[in-house]
Amino acid sequence: MEILSMVLRNLLARPVRSLLTLLGVLIATTSMVLFLSFGEGLRRSLAQELTRVGPAIQLVPEGMEGLGFSGYPEITPEEYRRAVAAGKELGVRSIIPTLFLVRGGFDPQTSFFFQGLPQGVAPDLLYPGVKVREGRLLPSAKGAIVGAKVAKRSQLSLGSPLRLSPRVELWVEGILEESGGLADNLIFVPLKPLQEVLGTQNYTALLVALNPGQKAEEVARALEASLPGLKAQTTGDVMRFAERALRISDLVRFGISLVALIVGGLLVANTVMMSVYERTREFGVMRALGAKRGFIFRLVVLEALLLSSLGGLLGLLLGSAVSQAINLYTLEQVGLALSAVTFRLSLFALLVALGLGLSAGILPAYHASRIPVVEALGRV
Amino acid sequence: MTSVLRAENLGKRYRQGEKEVVALEGFTFAFPQGSTAVVGPSGSGKTTLLNLLAGFDLPTEGGVYLGELALNRLSEDQRAEVRLKHMGFVFQQWNLIPTLTAWENVAFPLLLAGLPPKARKERALELLERVGLLERAHHLPSRLSGGEQQRVALARALALDPPILFADEPTGNLDATSREQVASLLFEAGEKRTLILVTHDLELASQADRILHLKGGRLVRVATPAPG
Ligand SMILES: Nc1ncnc2c1ncn2[C@@H]1O[C@H](COP(=O)(O)OP(=O)(O)OP(=O)(O)O)[C@@H](O)[C@H]1O
Ligand SMILES: [Mg+2]
Repeated sequence: MEILSMVLRNLLARPVRSLLTLLGVLIATTSMVLFLSFGEGLRRSLAQELTRVGPAIQLVPEGMEGLGFSGYPEITPEEYRRAVAAGKELGVRSIIPTLFLVRGGFDPQTSFFFQGLPQGVAPDLLYPGVKVREGRLLPSAKGAIVGAKVAKRSQLSLGSPLRLSPRVELWVEGILEESGGLADNLIFVPLKPLQEVLGTQNYTALLVALNPGQKAEEVARALEASLPGLKAQTTGDVMRFAERALRISDLVRFGISLVALIVGGLLVANTVMMSVYERTREFGVMRALGAKRGFIFRLVVLEALLLSSLGGLLGLLLGSAVSQAINLYTLEQVGLALSAVTFRLSLFALLVALGLGLSAGILPAYHASRIPVVEALGRV
Repeated sequence: MTSVLRAENLGKRYRQGEKEVVALEGFTFAFPQGSTAVVGPSGSGKTTLLNLLAGFDLPTEGGVYLGELALNRLSEDQRAEVRLKHMGFVFQQWNLIPTLTAWENVAFPLLLAGLPPKARKERALELLERVGLLERAHHLPSRLSGGEQQRVALARALALDPPILFADEPTGNLDATSREQVASLLFEAGEKRTLILVTHDLELASQADRILHLKGGRLVRVATPAPG
């Protein structure tokens, strides 16, 4: 019969009210965990993806850093030639121009992500480890190598036609094995037909593969110095840029979940305050028997802490379960686990729940511990 | 234990807007070992006196002393500590903590005093046996009769074996049989202690070693009832 079991008993004595409060905290924590899990998921996927990318440096137009491969290709053939010359001087292994094209709508089901490769470059140079399941790995001038997920989703098989525009049509020549990475969702095609569709000679990015022993950061800075208008990003740069953007979006998402958290906190405060009013006489008896103010204070704060930490824990569990369900869906749809309930997110959620309980409990607890004994005893 | 409880020129005034109510005035008395009943008409200051003696409230005049210790010089928490170590209480009703079973109620002062769990339970059961309620040890107060509740409260008051015992109308809500039972246990416990019993019930008071008569907040008579 310790203090904690006294607190627990008191909560169990009013089961419906305690349960409703618990539910409030649970929902608040679940929503916070889910909101924040998207940021964690993106971080994790990004990190995994980047370690899988072959070339260590990407050259992109200034102002496009970190945006990935969206937008109109802006690197001119002239810039490419200068980059090749600069690369040769620095002794890099190769410079691969690439081009991205997205066809379709917002629904990942019907979208196609094309990546253009120069003649003679196979997808495994950019995504080391990808293997071909059927057909060939290196596309011919009119051929396309299709990622496993795209093939499954759109029911493509060897020989299937792919129409990029009314005048440009390619044929599936190879289907990749599932790798669990970005490549599963891409269609690799020669650069020429993509440039034809877009009506340009330009490229989206230049990928720089290094020779063993070369330092990505150093080469990147040297390339930038000799190529005005281009930005050289290492995977580390991309990570740092993404981290900045993710942190801002974390704050925004936390801000949204704050509303639920505040409501949950008010619920706890209300429940504890009601229980304090109902137990005034009880506290009077305890004080009369020799309990100090701190004892009453602890009794009440613990009640709030127990409610909120239990609600927080259950919310974390529910949040993790929902996050798993979301991942099952997004893995199926776009091949990425969008949501991750990481250790530090779990810890954060529990701390927030505890902080919630503490701030909801302190005022009622202070009030309860300050009622004069005579007054408390007088109330029945 | 020579810590005699003493009141010196004790007084309490309440201010109610313009008017001032004198609830107790010039009360001086040293409570000897044995039982002392405090009687008087309603509003004569009995509860006020008990509140001051127990340190629930502070006087507006005079002081309460436990041996050499001046109660009104102590802080709220220090007075709580004095109560825990030196005083036991039985009130009229709603004495027990409703979410705790009978034995846990008895063990509550032992918890405050920091005794280990095993010792607490042993002592609580022993005390319940003494008031004849061992078989009710695991019942919640709501399942006990009024008389049983008061006996549990008495067992709890004795938990730390305090030298001073307070009771405010302990039999107020009981039928005749329970009243007898609680009264005899109470006076038995009061024999070797200082029992201070506040009551309207003259029949109950007559069993005490002495009776203090209050009237209009003043101590008007100290009587020794005829034995038997
Ligand atoms: N908090 C208070 N504020 C103002 N007056 C009070 C307060 N408490 C008690 N009084 C007054 O002090 C006087 C003594 O009250 P007290 O409760 O001590 O009487 P009592 O002898 O215990 O009466 P009863 O037998 O009815 O319990 C009464 O006139 C009462 O109205
Ligand atoms: Mg009274």
